[in-house]
Amino acid sequence: MDFNRLEILDLLEGYQRKEFSPTEVAQSLLTSIEKKDSEIRSFLQVRPDVTLDAARAVEKRSSEMQKLPLYGVPIAIKDNILVTGWQATAASKILKNYVAPFTAMCVERLESAGAVILGKTNLDEFAMGSSTENSGVAPTRNPWNTDRVPGGSSGGSAAAVAAGFAPASLGTDTGGSIRQPASLCGLVGVKPTYGRVSRFGLIAFASSLDQAGPLTRSVWDAARVLECMAGYGGKDATVSRSVVPKYTENLNESAFGTVRNLRVGVCTSWLEGVDPEVRASFEAAVEKLKELGMRPVEIELPNVKYALSTYYLVATSEASSNLARFDGVHYGYRTPNPKDLNDLYCSSRGEGFGPEVKLRIMLGTYALSAGYYDAYYGKANQVRRLIQQDFEAAFEKCDVIASPTSPTTAFKIGEKISDPLTMYLSDIFTLPANLAGIPGISVPAGVDSGKLPIGMQLMGRHFDESTLFQVAYCYERRRGALANPPWRSKSGAGA
Amino acid sequence: MLSRDEVLKIARLAKLSLTEKEIEFYQQRLGRILTYVEELNALATADTSVVRTIPKDAVAFREDRPMPFSDVRELLKNAPASEADSFLLPQVME
Repeated sequence: MDFNRLEILDLLEGYQRKEFSPTEVAQSLLTSIEKKDSEIRSFLQVRPDVTLDAARAVEKRSSEMQKLPLYGVPIAIKDNILVTGWQATAASKILKNYVAPFTAMCVERLESAGAVILGKTNLDEFAMGSSTENSGVAPTRNPWNTDRVPGGSSGGSAAAVAAGFAPASLGTDTGGSIRQPASLCGLVGVKPTYGRVSRFGLIAFASSLDQAGPLTRSVWDAARVLECMAGYGGKDATVSRSVVPKYTENLNESAFGTVRNLRVGVCTSWLEGVDPEVRASFEAAVEKLKELGMRPVEIELPNVKYALSTYYLVATSEASSNLARFDGVHYGYRTPNPKDLNDLYCSSRGEGFGPEVKLRIMLGTYALSAGYYDAYYGKANQVRRLIQQDFEAAFEKCDVIASPTSPTTAFKIGEKISDPLTMYLSDIFTLPANLAGIPGISVPAGVDSGKLPIGMQLMGRHFDESTLFQVAYCYERRRGALANPPWRSKSGAGA
Repeated sequence: MLSRDEVLKIARLAKLSLTEKEIEFYQQRLGRILTYVEELNALATADTSVVRTIPKDAVAFREDRPMPFSDVRELLKNAPASEADSFLLPQVME
């Protein structure tokens, strides 16, 4: 049986009806990966024996299936999230042989819910990038068109799900790194509210922006993964103590009644410069929201045009601090034959980090240095507050905000790598949600004339993922199935 | 474009060794980005309240209870060089 096309809901129903078992599903997906991932390069590590052992262990608990909301569901994990015994390299030479001694809280919760870890996926090094071309291993290819990028930084996670290797994966999103690859790969991707999911066990990039979240092929699947992975867990001082709602409970006919008459905010001036096909697809998506009874409202977000500058000061400053721990001392790459301790630090880091990572560390170091701190980091934090206030004001007038997720569809490998700012502009629509701390979801809206996916982004109030899921679910049902996605081709993988 | 001295100073603060080619590369790249972010200076932000990023109900403290850690050997498995229960480094003092 071809398990590549099955969603989480299909798997759970199939297990319930005893049509197939977690071991069969895991084995089938592992075979697919072995046969087809050399072309896509979505995975950095697979351990078939460990995965099959985990699947067998879950099967022994089949009598408790009802209590395991992700019973037997294989999930791929981005390689900047720790899972005991598996590598955690952040796709960097500086962590080449690092094996995680503990498991991230969000992954521990998925395992408690019955999920099976399928493998570790590729990313831009230390999650810094928008195309996965900054991976210290190799770029990942987009399963819709293998000359193109899958987006980034969670490109491996996105490609694995789009290729049919996994029904779901975890990514992390600091400036758009779940939502943008989801958009470029025709998937659903969710960045939760900051403080919804524990960051314990994530390799930190920017601590006030990072959030882990799901990439899936349906809104219901994303809701199921998030409701399992979210919540405090006791090891993160920045997580809300509030109970995580059961998001899937409302994802049925009742959602249509809930979303009718909700106001959807659109900021037209923000759309200037967007690819014409992306814009047309977005406008058609807003029409569908109107058909669902939602009311478009024009909103202003006067300071979002400064989001790129703000982000590239705040995030890089935080990164310069977080990446100081990679010094060749306790773990990771150590330069051979250092002259002294200082040389050990400088050469290990100089040789171990890739160019984009070093660029961002230096930018952040500069922004935090004496004499420049107020003008750069201090100023950026003040502008961040202005952006937060823009969203507070907008949510007085609307209940969700809609935009394209990315200004373009998937670009060619190598196309944007020479100028950093051109690459950074891929994230203009996603950055503000991280700066404001609000949740965002990308849902597929269609494809362009080159058959490349286009995503619509919905953003909501803090901790209002429920509304986002319900709107996204109704839109998805209204939109109908995507034509010929790569996970439906025979045995998955590239188009 | 940043000066060579500026790039070397930042690299020293960041504990990054750079090749000659890299110094030139970063002079150019950092210069480009820093010019771009200058746009923030045009914004009036004197009255802006302090930015808050974490949820209101997040609690930074836990009970002050000792929790002994027993997994030293696990942590040393990733060490580039170790001896007994310690990480091994070049001599720092005479």
